[in-house]
Amino acid sequence: MDDLVHVHIEQREGDDVVVARLTGELDISGAASTGQRIADAVPSSARGVVVDMSQLDFIDSSGISMLFELARRVGSRRQELRVVAPAGKPVARVLDIVEFDRAAPVHADVDSAVAEMA
Amino acid sequence: MAYLFATGALLGLLTLIVPHMSEVNDLALALLASAALVIAAIVWVSGDRIREWHIHAVLATGTLIVSLANYYAGATTLYPVLYMWAALYAFYFFRPAEALAHMALVAVSYAVVLAIQDPESAIVRWLLAVGTPLVAGLLISRLLHRLSDRAQQIEQSEARTRMVLDTAPDAFITLDRDGVIMSWNAAARRLFGWTAAEAIGQTMRALIVPPEFSDRHDQRRNALIASESATATERFEVEFQRRDGSRFPGEATVSKVDIQGEVFVSGFITDVTERLRRQAEREALLREQAARAEAERVAELVGGMQALVDAALAHRTLDGILRELVTQVRGVLDADAATIYLADESERLTVGASAPGDITGGDAFANRVGEAREAMLARNDASANGGALVGVPLLAEGEVMGVLVACATPPREFGGEDLTLLRLAAERVGLAIAHARVYEREHRIAETLQRSLLPDRLPSLPGLEVAARYLPAASEAEVGGDWYDVIPIAGGAVGLVMGDVAGKGLAGASMVGRLRSALRAYALEGHDGARVVEQLNRLLWTEAEDSQMATMLYVIVDPAANAVRWVNAGHPAPVMVVDGEPRFLEGAGSVPLGVLPFPTYEEVSDRMDPGSTLLLYTDGLVERPGENIDDGMAELAARVREAPEDPDALCDHLLATLVPAGGAMDDVALLTLRNLPVPDHFSAEFPAEPESLAPMRSMLRRWLSHAGAGELEIAEIVTACGEAATNAIEHAGVSGGTRFEVSGGRDGREVEIAVRDQGSWREQRPGDHGRGLDLMRTLMDTVAVDPTPEGTIVSLRRRLGGNGGPG
Repeated sequence: MDDLVHVHIEQREGDDVVVARLTGELDISGAASTGQRIADAVPSSARGVVVDMSQLDFIDSSGISMLFELARRVGSRRQELRVVAPAGKPVARVLDIVEFDRAAPVHADVDSAVAEMA
Repeated sequence: MAYLFATGALLGLLTLIVPHMSEVNDLALALLASAALVIAAIVWVSGDRIREWHIHAVLATGTLIVSLANYYAGATTLYPVLYMWAALYAFYFFRPAEALAHMALVAVSYAVVLAIQDPESAIVRWLLAVGTPLVAGLLISRLLHRLSDRAQQIEQSEARTRMVLDTAPDAFITLDRDGVIMSWNAAARRLFGWTAAEAIGQTMRALIVPPEFSDRHDQRRNALIASESATATERFEVEFQRRDGSRFPGEATVSKVDIQGEVFVSGFITDVTERLRRQAEREALLREQAARAEAERVAELVGGMQALVDAALAHRTLDGILRELVTQVRGVLDADAATIYLADESERLTVGASAPGDITGGDAFANRVGEAREAMLARNDASANGGALVGVPLLAEGEVMGVLVACATPPREFGGEDLTLLRLAAERVGLAIAHARVYEREHRIAETLQRSLLPDRLPSLPGLEVAARYLPAASEAEVGGDWYDVIPIAGGAVGLVMGDVAGKGLAGASMVGRLRSALRAYALEGHDGARVVEQLNRLLWTEAEDSQMATMLYVIVDPAANAVRWVNAGHPAPVMVVDGEPRFLEGAGSVPLGVLPFPTYEEVSDRMDPGSTLLLYTDGLVERPGENIDDGMAELAARVREAPEDPDALCDHLLATLVPAGGAMDDVALLTLRNLPVPDHFSAEFPAEPESLAPMRSMLRRWLSHAGAGELEIAEIVTACGEAATNAIEHAGVSGGTRFEVSGGRDGREVEIAVRDQGSWREQRPGDHGRGLDLMRTLMDTVAVDPTPEGTIVSLRRRLGGNGGPG
C-alpha cells in the first residue's frame, strides 16, 4: 500500500540545514520509516534538521514518539532539531498536548526555523 | 513364260526332224523347219511384250506346222505325243474352253492327215487339203474373235477404272520410271489446274513440284522404284504447286507398280489444307483447353493460397491463425488431417494445432522436414499407416518457425502440385506465425503490465463504496491504454482517476505506468486537482515520445464536505446519479494531456450528497463504430437510469447492456463511487493492522461531520480514537487477535465512540511513555477502559460544542 505519509528532503544554507517536509498523515504505519528517512538524510556535517509539518494533516502519538526519538538522535550528534507546526492546526494541538517544545523548538514557519539554526 | 513357248516351238520342230529319216520332201521340210524356227525366234525375242493372242497364234501355227510335217513325213506314231503336248500346255496356259479348242484343232488336223495319207479320190484329198486350213482358220478366227472380246473387256475395264479415277475426289497420277506423267485424272485437273492433255508427257517435277523440292521428289521416286518390293507404297506430306503458282500442302500416297517388268509409279494426291486447318483448330482447341485447365488449376492454387493467407490474416492470435490454417490446409489439399508443429525455444517441434486430430507418426516426419529445411513428400509411409505425407518447413528470416504436415490415405496421393501449393503457403504462413508470436508476446506483456497498473484491490473507504471494472478489448485487438485509480487523500477525501492514453500496446502501457505513479505522487503531495493535472501534462509533453496524448479525468470526492471537485483533460464527462437520475458533470473541460505545453486546467466543484453515485468511464463504453458519440452518451444515461444503485451492480449492468456480446472494440474501464448515506449509529470492523488506521479515521471524519462536529473537533476526536485503535492493534500483536471494531453513536450533542479489541489492556505501549492515553484523556471528555476476558473496550465520549476543545 502506498505510504500515507510523504517525506520531501531539501538542503538549505548550502549543506548546513536539512529541511524535511512531511505531507499526508503520520501514524504508526509510517512513523518508524519516516524517522529513519529523516535521520539518514542528515549528514554529520549539517548543523541540524528542520521537520516541516505545516502540510501534515494528522499526527498521532506514534509520530510524536518518532519526533522525540529523532530529537534524541540528532542531539547525540550535536546537531539541532526544529519542527514547524503553525498554531491552530491539529498537529500543533497535539505537539502542545505532549509538550514537545521541551524536546525541540516549535516554529510557525520554515524560514524562521532555518534562520534560528544559523 | 517365254521359255515355255520356245520349248513348245522346239518340240514342234523336233516332230518335223524325227520323221525326216524315212522319205523326204527336202524343200518342204526345210521350209517348215525354217518357219518353226522363225516363230520360235520371234517368240523368244518378243519376250515380255508378248500378248495373249500371240500365244494362241503361235500355238495354232505350230499345230498346223506339225500337221503338215506329219503329212509329209507320214510318221503317224507321233500324233498321240503331239496331242498330249498340245493339251498339256493348253490347259496350262488357258481356260478349259480354249484348251479344248486347241485340242479340237489338233484332233481335226490328225483326222485330216489320216485321211490324206490314204486318199480315196483326188477331190477328197483336195477338199481335205483345202478344208483343213479352212477349219483351222475358222477356229483360229473364232479364237481371235474371243481374244478381241477379251481385249475389249479389258479396255472397258480400263475405261471404267479411268472413269472411277476421273471421278475420284483425289488426284490420281501415274508416272513412268523417269517421272513423266502417264495419266492425270479429273481431280488432278481440278486440283492443279492443268488438263490431262497438258499434263501427260510432262515431268511431274516440272509441273507441280515446287522447285526447292525437286531433288527430294527425284530421290523419293528413285528410291521407290529401286525398292525390292514390287508393290511398295509410301505416304507422305509435301507441298505442291498449282498452275497459278499458289501452293498447298498435300498428302501423297504413291505405289510402285510393276506390270510384267514395266515399272511405273501411281499415286493419289489429296489437298490437306482443310484437314491441316481442322487439325490445327483441334490442336488449338486442345491447347486452349489445356491452358484453361492450367489456368483453373493455378486459380485454384491461388485460391487455396488466398484462403490460407486470409485465414492467417483474419486472426490475430497465434492460436487462431494455427487453428484456421490446419483447417484450410486440410480442405485445400483434400487431406485426411493436417498438423502444424511449432518450434519452441530449444527448436523442438511440438504440436501447435491439428485438424481434425494429430497425425500418427507426423512428428517424426515433421522432424525430418525441419532438419532438411525443405518440402518433402512421402508415399506409402510406414509411420503414417501406409498413407502419404507431405510437409513443408515454415520459415521466417531463415528460422524454422515450425513444420506443416498433411496426410492422406489411398487412393488420395499427394503430388508435385500439392507440394507447390504448400511451399507457396509456407513462406507467408511462416511470416504470419513469426509476426503473431511477436505480437502475442507484446500483447501479453502489455496486458500484464497494464493489469499490474490497475489497482488489484480497491481501498476500502469509510462511507464510500467503490467498484471498478476493466474489460480489455476483444482478445485480438491491441491492449489499450485505459487506466483508473483510486487514491485515498489525507483528510478523508479520495481521488478518482480515469484515463485513456492514446498509444496502444507496450508504449501505451508503460506511459500509463508513468502517469499513474506521477499522479499518485502529486496527489499525495497535497496539490489541488488542477495543479496535479498540469504537472501530468508537463510530464507527457516533455517526456513522451511521438507526441503521446492522453485524456484524463481527476475527481476528488470529499465525503466529509459532501463535495466533489474535478478536472477534465479531454475526457468524457463523468456522470452524477442523484436519486436514480443521471447528470453529466460538464464543465472544467480542457484539452487532453500532451497537446499543449501550458494549457490551463481548472477545477470545478459540485455537491455530492450522501446517497448519490459518481460514474467515471472511458470512451470504449460509449463509442461504437458508425455511431454518433452523443447517441452513445444518451444510451449510457438510459442504462444508468434503469440500473441499481449499488456500485458493483451498476458496473455489471452497464457492461451487460452496453458492451457487445463479442467483446468491446476498445478497452472499457468503469469506476463508480457511491457516497453512502450517513447513519446516526455506525459500527465497522477493521483488520488489526496499522493500515486500517487511515480508513478508520476517514470513516470517523465523515461520520463526525455528519453528526455536526466542527473541523477542529473532528481532528481532535479522530486523534483520540486513533490512539485507542493503535492500542487495539498493539494488543492484537501481543495476544494474537486479528480484528478490532469501532462503533459510534450520538446522543443529542454528545458522541460516543467505542473501540473494541480482542486483547488484554496495557497501560502504555513500548516507547510511548503513556502519551497515547494522555492524548485520549486530554482530547476527550471521558475515557473508559473496560478490560473483559474477550478483550478490551475503550469508550470515548465528548460533547460537541463548536470548534473549541473540551472544557
